[in-house]
Amino acid sequence: MDRPADLVAAWRLLAVALVVVVLSQLLGIRRIEVGIGTILLLPLLYAFLAGLVLNPSITGRVGKVLGRREVRLASPLIIVAILPFIARFGTTIGPDIEAVIAAGPALLLQELGNLGTIVLAFPVAVYLLRLRREAIGATFSVAREPSLAIIADRYGLRGPEGAGVLAVYVVGTLVGTIVFSVMASFVASLDVLDPRALAMACGVGSGSMMAACSGALAATLPEMEDTILAFAGTSNLLTYATGMYVTLFVALPLVEWMYRKAHPEDTRAAAKPAATSDEEGAR
Amino acid sequence: MSAMPVDDVDDTQDERLSLPSEMTALLAVLPLGWAAQLIATDLSALRAAAGVLALGLIAVVGILLTRALPFLRLPSVAWVSLVGIVASLPMLPWGEAVVGVVGDIDFLALSVPCLAFAGLAISRREVAIARTSGWKLLVVGVLVLVGTFIGSALIADVTLPLLE
Repeated sequence: MDRPADLVAAWRLLAVALVVVVLSQLLGIRRIEVGIGTILLLPLLYAFLAGLVLNPSITGRVGKVLGRREVRLASPLIIVAILPFIARFGTTIGPDIEAVIAAGPALLLQELGNLGTIVLAFPVAVYLLRLRREAIGATFSVAREPSLAIIADRYGLRGPEGAGVLAVYVVGTLVGTIVFSVMASFVASLDVLDPRALAMACGVGSGSMMAACSGALAATLPEMEDTILAFAGTSNLLTYATGMYVTLFVALPLVEWMYRKAHPEDTRAAAKPAATSDEEGAR
Repeated sequence: MSAMPVDDVDDTQDERLSLPSEMTALLAVLPLGWAAQLIATDLSALRAAAGVLALGLIAVVGILLTRALPFLRLPSVAWVSLVGIVASLPMLPWGEAVVGVVGDIDFLALSVPCLAFAGLAISRREVAIARTSGWKLLVVGVLVLVGTFIGSALIADVTLPLLE
């Protein structure tokens, strides 16, 4: 950020972000009743959507407010801007540390719940939608950055597995906050699962999805806010620490095995290095 | 992944920030979080500033630890979480003071600046992937998000009563 053009771009980006933040926060939380449950719309959701609308990659140059230079500068700011929020989560865990430790076994076991991506999405992808090896990359994990690295390393990102993981990565980036805030507020309003369990389920290893998820939970059950934040924050931290190993040593071998069962005729070697990544192996 | 520079701007690669840039960036985003607090809470401008600054300080310690201990391969968000936990433990001498300063900071409002940048940062490459992936993979993507949430929630819901 040392060239003058970058400095101007940085100021313009910050000014636009400030306007987006203030307007989103003024709109506040909105509730939508949908039959048996309630869906919450959160300020973070408006901010994301406003960002999309102002983003020249999406909408062309709306009023020429921002250019590609600003878009590029925004990317590292996501991580930096999430840090104070993550710090706030950490400070909810400290005071609740005894409850968190008491729930330790549940917290550890629910990390395996991340295999739910395979349980739910793999059968649909392979048997219903008839996807081939794309299904492996698409369903073995929730496809955040560590998963991209795993697939790039194993198969290369240009093959079908890479196409699968990239597609789900982009889906998560584009609609992850929307899906999580809608899903979490709706399920919480049904009142069938323990709110602490839902809070743990929010920790999927993505700061923005956790924000949307636990924010929707806390707004639905304000009297439990501190507990919800402590459990979501702990689960998210555990996912950062263990997620890589679960996906690499459990999820990926499992989904490979399920794929071989579904398509025994597909003899493409499972773990060939990136050299084969240009061939359309499975087609 | 091949880079396609257009006007010396390449949006296919994330920018890896140097330590001074990262600190500058943190200082630049803190006022956004502070502005959101003024709207979301009844805190005075000064108390909101103190809370946001304290959280910024926790973030700084986390960033420094990430860089000091790269061989542990923990991302900065994990370090910042850990520093936040240690800073707020009630059995440690500073715990109550830290919680006193940051306890009233609204966490939801604090996430708003990050999501604004997330929306602004979507690159052409990501839009192109979404366009070419086809509806099937997009459906699978949503099922993946639902699957991880429901999977973890069910396991935790079954396990929690066993611990009480």
